[in-house]
Amino acid sequence: MNRLKAIAEGQPIESVYHDEVLAREAVLTIKDFNLYYGRKQALYNISMPIARGMVTALVGPSGCGKSTLLRSVNRMNDLIDSVSIEGDMLLGNESIFASGVDVIQLRKRMGMVFQKPNPFPMSIFENVVYPLRIDGERDKTRLMQVCEHSLRGAALWDEVKDRLHESGLSLSGGQQQRLCIARAIASDPEVLLLDEPCSALDPIATSKIEDLIEKLKGDYSILIVTHNMQQASRISDHTAFMYLGRLVELGVTSSIFTRPKLKETEDYITGRFG
Amino acid sequence: MTRAIPERRKTSSLKAQGEPMIWLTGGMFAIACSMILGLLALVLYQGLSTLWPRPYSMYSTLGNELVGGELQGNNEYVLSGQTLEDLDSNTRSRAEKLLDGASEIRSRRLYLRTGNFELTNRHFTFLPTVALSTDKPVQPKSIWLLERREWGNLYGFPKSLSWTEANESNIADLVQKAMHDAEQLNRKIEAEKHKLERIDRAISNARLDVRRAELAEKVELQAALDQATAEAMAGNASGSVVAIEELPALQGLSTPATRAIVGLIRKTLDSEPQLISINEQIAKLEEERRGRSVVMQTPVMDNIGTADIPPDQWFPAGSEKTIGDKAGAALPQAILDAMGSSDAIHQIFKTVSLGPQQWLVSAQHDSKPPVYFWAVQENGASTSVYGMREQPVLVADIVRLIQPNQLSWLGRCGVYTSRWLEFLFGQPREAGVEGGFFPAIWGTIVMTLVMSLAVMPFGVLAALYMREYASSGWLLSLIRISINNLAGVPSIVYGVFGLAFFCYTIGGYIDGGPAKAGFEPWPSTVWFSAFAGLAVTGLVAFGVSILSGPRDRREGTGRSILGAVAGLLWIATLVGMVILLAKIPFFSGFYQAQLPNPTFGKGCLLWAACTLALLTLPVVIVATEEALAAVPNSLREGSYACGAGKWQTIQRIVLPYARPGIITGFILAMARGAGEVAPMMLVGAIPLATELPLDLDFPFLHGSRSFMHLGFQIYSLGFQSQNSEAAKPMVFTATLLLLVLVTLLNLTAIWLRASLRKRFQTSQF
Ligand SMILES: Nc1ncnc2c1ncn2[C@@H]1O[C@H](COP(=O)(O)OP(=O)(O)O)[C@@H](O)[C@H]1O
Ligand SMILES: [Mg+2]
Repeated sequence: MNRLKAIAEGQPIESVYHDEVLAREAVLTIKDFNLYYGRKQALYNISMPIARGMVTALVGPSGCGKSTLLRSVNRMNDLIDSVSIEGDMLLGNESIFASGVDVIQLRKRMGMVFQKPNPFPMSIFENVVYPLRIDGERDKTRLMQVCEHSLRGAALWDEVKDRLHESGLSLSGGQQQRLCIARAIASDPEVLLLDEPCSALDPIATSKIEDLIEKLKGDYSILIVTHNMQQASRISDHTAFMYLGRLVELGVTSSIFTRPKLKETEDYITGRFG
Repeated sequence: MTRAIPERRKTSSLKAQGEPMIWLTGGMFAIACSMILGLLALVLYQGLSTLWPRPYSMYSTLGNELVGGELQGNNEYVLSGQTLEDLDSNTRSRAEKLLDGASEIRSRRLYLRTGNFELTNRHFTFLPTVALSTDKPVQPKSIWLLERREWGNLYGFPKSLSWTEANESNIADLVQKAMHDAEQLNRKIEAEKHKLERIDRAISNARLDVRRAELAEKVELQAALDQATAEAMAGNASGSVVAIEELPALQGLSTPATRAIVGLIRKTLDSEPQLISINEQIAKLEEERRGRSVVMQTPVMDNIGTADIPPDQWFPAGSEKTIGDKAGAALPQAILDAMGSSDAIHQIFKTVSLGPQQWLVSAQHDSKPPVYFWAVQENGASTSVYGMREQPVLVADIVRLIQPNQLSWLGRCGVYTSRWLEFLFGQPREAGVEGGFFPAIWGTIVMTLVMSLAVMPFGVLAALYMREYASSGWLLSLIRISINNLAGVPSIVYGVFGLAFFCYTIGGYIDGGPAKAGFEPWPSTVWFSAFAGLAVTGLVAFGVSILSGPRDRREGTGRSILGAVAGLLWIATLVGMVILLAKIPFFSGFYQAQLPNPTFGKGCLLWAACTLALLTLPVVIVATEEALAAVPNSLREGSYACGAGKWQTIQRIVLPYARPGIITGFILAMARGAGEVAPMMLVGAIPLATELPLDLDFPFLHGSRSFMHLGFQIYSLGFQSQNSEAAKPMVFTATLLLLVLVTLLNLTAIWLRASLRKRFQTSQF
């Protein structure tokens, strides 16, 4: 029986994993994760490893829970009152949801970039060093060092180095998004969480961000949500296909896009479905 | 195949075109606009024109009266048969002719500012045009307007000076110079009076010390004090040096009581010679002050005699005659006396015919200011001569000397400016009807600032809690609706609440402890057991809130019972604390010695500011909430994702972003508060205050003082003062000022919002 139809009818399915993915060292392991918005369940029994130093793409139709999963990783869903969860995730081998975990410290180990660029209404410099500011860092030279390093990391340094004290809002959309990436890597996180970072950008800005992701991988483990299949195939090493809150198939990108194990995945990727 | 074409109407209906609605809506809009503009124009015109100096005109009436004044305007009134009774016979017959059998017609009357209140008992008068004997008034060149410290304006012709000889050309300069000297004199007297006040205050402080000792020792000291004072006085009078401590009346008293009484007596004795010398000095200065006066001839007429021929024949026009000519013999002796007839000096008469057989006559003297008469020839036979009543005016009482009929346009502007400056920065005269509004302006500004200091933290913190911390639910919605509805509570209710709660309860508590605030204190054993109980409740609340702890995501949603219990316990603790404070048996106020005179237990700056803070709280809360709601959630999420905590996010992202909105709400609250009158009259505004709420005396800001307030001033001058007709112009000027103040605040708010919003606008993609 077609798995997608089964999911739609509410039946549990077995997720399919490629061995190459399981063989990799995982920076983040998601274990039997369920999430509810109030009564409504949004994620069902998600289990998957995220490989260290690689780009993992989450694909799937709108509303299948990609953002929800991403926001669970750095516990942004704590901010929503109605959310409750089951299961756990491990960062390295520490639990993310254990009761003693310091959420603030946890979030500092992950950088997050949102769909719409959200620079703070302050100078470019202050935007980048914000994570250090909230830690009470005052040392000018260190702040400057981090600022330059992060902006170089986000491939923005050359464009803004002369106007660090102008408002972050004065940049163009693509620059703003790279500024947000610079901010996300300023606290030197282990994992970067990108939620459709290019969906609000024009093609040129998009390709710049894609180049940037290419450059960042290795130093950071990246989990990216994308709607754009070409983008997923271009930049990611692993791809996870989700459907209605369930993980359908997780595999190496090249094989997912050429010869997936499941017919359903192939249908989705080739656009015959969804 | 043919298709049936539905028949169309050639023109669309009236309804479809919508013409009537344009007229209806546009008409309503026009009415609203014209009402608002009309009100604004009225206030603007009246407020701006009040201080403009106008020429002085003299009108003669059919009743042979001479009425002078500044023409303020004219209006229509109903002339009816009944009102004719009050008119004199000539006027009545003219009016009857006008009426021509009708019971009433509309006629006009002039509105004149006549001044000279002490002579005529009025500042203003209405002069019906039907009573005028001529349409053309005389505008005598040499008329003076003296604005005085007391009694308002005096209009008249200068006649002589008490301290020196003067003639027409130099009299104004002499008076101006004398006014300048007198100003210094006035200032000296002020300074001496200030010294007196200081001594008085020192003595009453010493008396307060005695009262405090009395309260502390729980003894009656009045008898001992009286006796000791008498003994000390007697000793002092006999010339022997008195050791106050050893007076028999003080034996047997405790040390603090003795010390206080000795302090008071010593202060009284020590300041005695000083008081005497200051009072002597004041008497001397007052004497000097009374020394210089201007004798004015006021257009208030008294009959001083008769002459047989009309004034135009007294002397042929333009001729010069000496006293003793045959024509001069026709004059009544009173006129000759007034002219100083003993010397053979040139006399030139000028006569102006004002109406049929009415003349204004001036006798010119080449070394003195002219003397004026009013001559009325009756029945062609004899002439009644009216002399102007003389009125001396102390130079030191004159604030401003204006020659209204000689002013150039520039001169008028000068007077106007000087009056505005006095209005803005001067002290009130004549119970606030004249002179400056400075205390009222200052009081309004200080009160508004104190109010903003009170409302700002409250409003912003409350809104922060509601928007950022509290989880939304029906309770929060209920509270939000209630806050919005607070705006509908009539402001007088706030005034009553402020009076009862702030002034009498809290103020009374500060003055004289729980008993004065109307709470029966508990016996100390009861109080201590209650205190212990409260301490336990507080500890339990603390423990429970720790136990209820932060919520765990995996536990599922829903507020834990423990949390609710902790909340209730905290509320109970808070209520208990208030009750304990109200029932405390060991506190009897900070100002007990001053009682029964209240210090904070009455309307004063502090409570007025608190009342207004309460009144403007909804404005601040609503504006702040809106400003917080306008902060994009993506910014908050971005901040959290960087690892910022809740407060860090609020402090670094939310508040800066919401600041323009918050400040705007805050300024709107100030504008609302500044214009509010009703509560003010209950909780601290008074029509005339001698002291400012913020001045250079330590501790500078005097929360317990009553103050003057622009809005209240408008009310009290316009509707409460004895002389509200005279105050009317000032009411408009004060309204204009308040309007300008509020408009400025509102404009600042708009400008701020616009300029700050621009700063936060995201650039385009
Ligand atoms: N704050 C929320 N409250 C309730 N339901 C939500 C909330 N956010 C998302 N959802 C629901 O969760 C499901 C997954 O949403 P989301 O993770 O945003 O999907 P995706 O990012 O894959 O498009 C959707 O059905 C959506 O309606
Ligand atoms: Mg999404």
